[in-house]
Amino acid sequence: MGNKAIFKANSKRHRGALIGIFILVFLACAALGTVLTVWINSGRYVHGELMRAGFGSLTAWISGLTDARPLANEVKNLPEVSSVEIQNLIFSNYAVDGQESDSEGQLILYHSEESRYRFFTDDLHGYQEQPAAISSGEIYVSPSLVSMMGLTLGDEIRFPIARSGRDKVFTVTGFYEDPFMGSSMIGMKSFLIGEDDYREICQIIQTSGIDALAREGAMLHIFAADPDAMTSSELNQLINENTSLSSYAEFIHSEDAIAGFMLILQNAFAAMLMAFVAALLFVVVIVLGHSISSGIEADYGNMGMLKTVGFTGGQLRGIWLVQYLTGILGGMAAGLAAVIPLSRLTSNATLTTTGIYIPADLPIGWCLLAFGILLGLLMGFIRLKTRPIRDIAPMKAIRGDIGAAGKTKVSRTPIWGNHLQLGIALRQLTMGKRRYSGACMVAVLLVFIASMIGRMDSWLESDGKGMMDAFNPADHDIGVQVFGELPMEEVEDAIRSYTDITDDYLLVMQGVAVNGMDYTANVITEPERFHILEGQTCLEDDEIVLTEFVAANLGIQIGDSVTVTGDSGSTEYIVSGIYSCANDMGDNVGMSREGYLKIGQDAPQLWCHHYFLEDEAQKAAITMALENAYGGDIHIHENTWPGLFGIISAMQALIVFLYVMVAVFILVVTVLTGSKLLAAEQRDLGIYKALGFTNRQLMTSFAMRFGIIALLGSAMGSVLSAVLTDPIVSAAMKLAGISNFASEPSVGSILLPVITVILLFTSFAFLTAGRLKNIDVTILISE
Amino acid sequence: MREILLKGTNICKTFPKNGGETQILQSVNVEIYQGDFAIIMGASGAGKSTLLYALSGMDSITDGEITYKDQKISSFSEKQMAALRAKEFGFVFQQTHLVSNLTLFENVAVAGYVSKTASPKEIQERASRLLRQMHAEKAAGRLPSQVSGGEAQRAAIARAMIGNPGLLFADEPTGALNKTNSEEVLNLLSDLNRNGQSILMVTHDAKAAIRGNRILYLEDGQLLDELTLPIFQESEARQREETVTAWLSSLRW
Repeated sequence: MGNKAIFKANSKRHRGALIGIFILVFLACAALGTVLTVWINSGRYVHGELMRAGFGSLTAWISGLTDARPLANEVKNLPEVSSVEIQNLIFSNYAVDGQESDSEGQLILYHSEESRYRFFTDDLHGYQEQPAAISSGEIYVSPSLVSMMGLTLGDEIRFPIARSGRDKVFTVTGFYEDPFMGSSMIGMKSFLIGEDDYREICQIIQTSGIDALAREGAMLHIFAADPDAMTSSELNQLINENTSLSSYAEFIHSEDAIAGFMLILQNAFAAMLMAFVAALLFVVVIVLGHSISSGIEADYGNMGMLKTVGFTGGQLRGIWLVQYLTGILGGMAAGLAAVIPLSRLTSNATLTTTGIYIPADLPIGWCLLAFGILLGLLMGFIRLKTRPIRDIAPMKAIRGDIGAAGKTKVSRTPIWGNHLQLGIALRQLTMGKRRYSGACMVAVLLVFIASMIGRMDSWLESDGKGMMDAFNPADHDIGVQVFGELPMEEVEDAIRSYTDITDDYLLVMQGVAVNGMDYTANVITEPERFHILEGQTCLEDDEIVLTEFVAANLGIQIGDSVTVTGDSGSTEYIVSGIYSCANDMGDNVGMSREGYLKIGQDAPQLWCHHYFLEDEAQKAAITMALENAYGGDIHIHENTWPGLFGIISAMQALIVFLYVMVAVFILVVTVLTGSKLLAAEQRDLGIYKALGFTNRQLMTSFAMRFGIIALLGSAMGSVLSAVLTDPIVSAAMKLAGISNFASEPSVGSILLPVITVILLFTSFAFLTAGRLKNIDVTILISE
Repeated sequence: MREILLKGTNICKTFPKNGGETQILQSVNVEIYQGDFAIIMGASGAGKSTLLYALSGMDSITDGEITYKDQKISSFSEKQMAALRAKEFGFVFQQTHLVSNLTLFENVAVAGYVSKTASPKEIQERASRLLRQMHAEKAAGRLPSQVSGGEAQRAAIARAMIGNPGLLFADEPTGALNKTNSEEVLNLLSDLNRNGQSILMVTHDAKAAIRGNRILYLEDGQLLDELTLPIFQESEARQREETVTAWLSSLRW
């Protein structure tokens, strides 16, 4: 009964602190739960859909065969393969409103009886029944094309099927979910079309002969007889060694690899948000610790009194634990309740980037486990922080002796006559360091995280150059690939009519097998342009460079030999270096033209001409002029990639979200800390008022303390970020195949989080200090 | 005719209590003249400190009017009141009320800085001089928690005097001091008054009250009587004490 009364009284007395803890725990738990939900559900969903839609253990994209069935049977006859399913398709470039695609599209014949794909409602907020058939002229697309190319319902997509303007134009009728290549992180895109259109295109290709621009092909979904018996790489190697698949395969991806591509965005952003959530949880712990310490200090006398009437230290600690648990559990429950709507919101907001509708169902087990661990840690922390209650001696406490009096050393910070408020602020800070340490730690953590994200944003750059440099094997301004007999001199003259070409080289991406495993080879005429991380580039025709991921997968080091198989032969190469290129999540190798021609065939139209321009600003104009002049006979790409816009906008959304959370946390922390300080300093503030200080002077001085603390914390946070960003982010980026992350932030990106945090702390402190208007000098009166 | 420094007219002050109101001051009329060492006396709960803080503008009044040097200070804004406290008024409290994290010297100097009555350098020189006068110079570099009550109160008087105030308010300045320290503090106040400083002091101690030239007796929130005395001389202390005691007895003190 007594415990209940004390609990009620304490809860009322510390209501402000408990509300603050509730808000912080709510925000941190809502963010934690949402990140967990999005991360776990997207992973489960993609793997589930790949299985349901029949991706198989491996899928090979093949071309050059009019009928894929004999090849499928050849593969199926292997004892390690249980079945092979064929999905016929047509490879073709495409353009939306004059904007050419970077990669080929895949026109797939829609079979309503297959139920392979799920269709979205027009507003992209859910699913609808799949159509009974797709009519002629209609096309269904992945919603990621909305972010990649700005596509909307009713837009037209033009597919150049053959020269002489034999294009096929479709109208976007709806959106569907493609678990194989729906993410904006994957360049290749599939399109569902009806049977009449499909037959018509096949006929055009067959009748056009060498003038055909589109190609017939298929996806072979290969199912392992015993998926646990060997890895997908081993299965791939086995199939390549025992069948003719490698002669027809454009690329082969395992289920894990394609899931990896589909989940890059979710995983990368979940990792960043998880780091942010971890920082928020640290902030919760810091604020909780500060609240308990100052609460004990304020209630020291009362607790001494309670001990004199028989309360034990254990009972009082128990009351404090329960009191804080009300705020924590309330925050956790509210956070958990907010997870489903927040996840639904995230799912809706990311659909046009991820291409999939991430389920918002709460992963109860994971959430309960995470929240349980968090609760356990917080309870342990509260028990630890309330230990001083155990040692309170009743009479000592009643006398008001909390063991601090007389031990305070006089600080050396001066009190200047000309800068009185600053002097007083500094004195308060240096004399009460412990009281401000929480706010300082919060500033360190928040600036560290904000600065880290800012550095990543800086690396990405507004046009995604950082990311493109990571994905491109070599730099360039514009790439031009011609089909057929179009002379390059004519194209180059057209470019020069806008700006001079300062340099150029040729590049082609070809499928090869390295030690039996399929990779993309970046073949270049000037190997010195590769981004070499270690060793040397492949200048000789018997040398090759690998990414560090390929080297790790194959267990190869610089100086080792590898056997590379192309479409015309196989030979050994010496690994001369490690280079960076995040294409195919790092699954690629680099070769010189001379080296590649030992095992591969050459054709002029294979090569993409990469140019460096004197005036980079002319890129868009040149692209448009060349497309208008040569249409389907030419493919032009800049040093960009449509999926980047999704990443850049997601990064910008993340930064906005992050700064909103930072502002809310700083608000709560400042109000909590400031209120405690104001309560503790009432008497001193009353004295200052009696001496003639105005409210504004005192509020300014109070805000200055937080400004100084935020400055110190921000400086430390910035230093931490400078030291730790590259190793932490590099480790995370390597998961996506990017190995060249090195932040070179601008002054603005360093200063933005610092200035923001300082301004937020200072202004919130100034507003909190408004309460001192209520502190009257009558507080000094003793009648 | 002596110049009126501070004037309170029909001062009323009520406090909320148990859902109703309690009237602490009831139409109090009081005048403090230039050079006065005026004492407010009365039993506990009579409203002495309430009157002192009402007159000094430290506390608001419910009704009435207060003027200082012919300015109606009872209707001053917060900013005007702050300026008045910084430049014209000095305060000495019963519980010294020194800022806990400033040294005695800094406590005195800060009050001077905020008054802006001189340059920072001059303020520092004046603070040192005042602390010397108050025999507190040895404790100047210490925090309030590290000095005796007498040293702290002498520093508080120095602080009150740093801006050369027109009127010094003192609320039971010896209330928390032992006999020796009380005597020292009262001597300092008497010296200041002899040098022309106007003082309004609240006390319930007859030995302290004899320092004044006017003693105002407050009972149940009303001024009941006033005793006028010549300027205090140490040699007449015993005789003044008898006079004051007799007067207080007549008021059933």
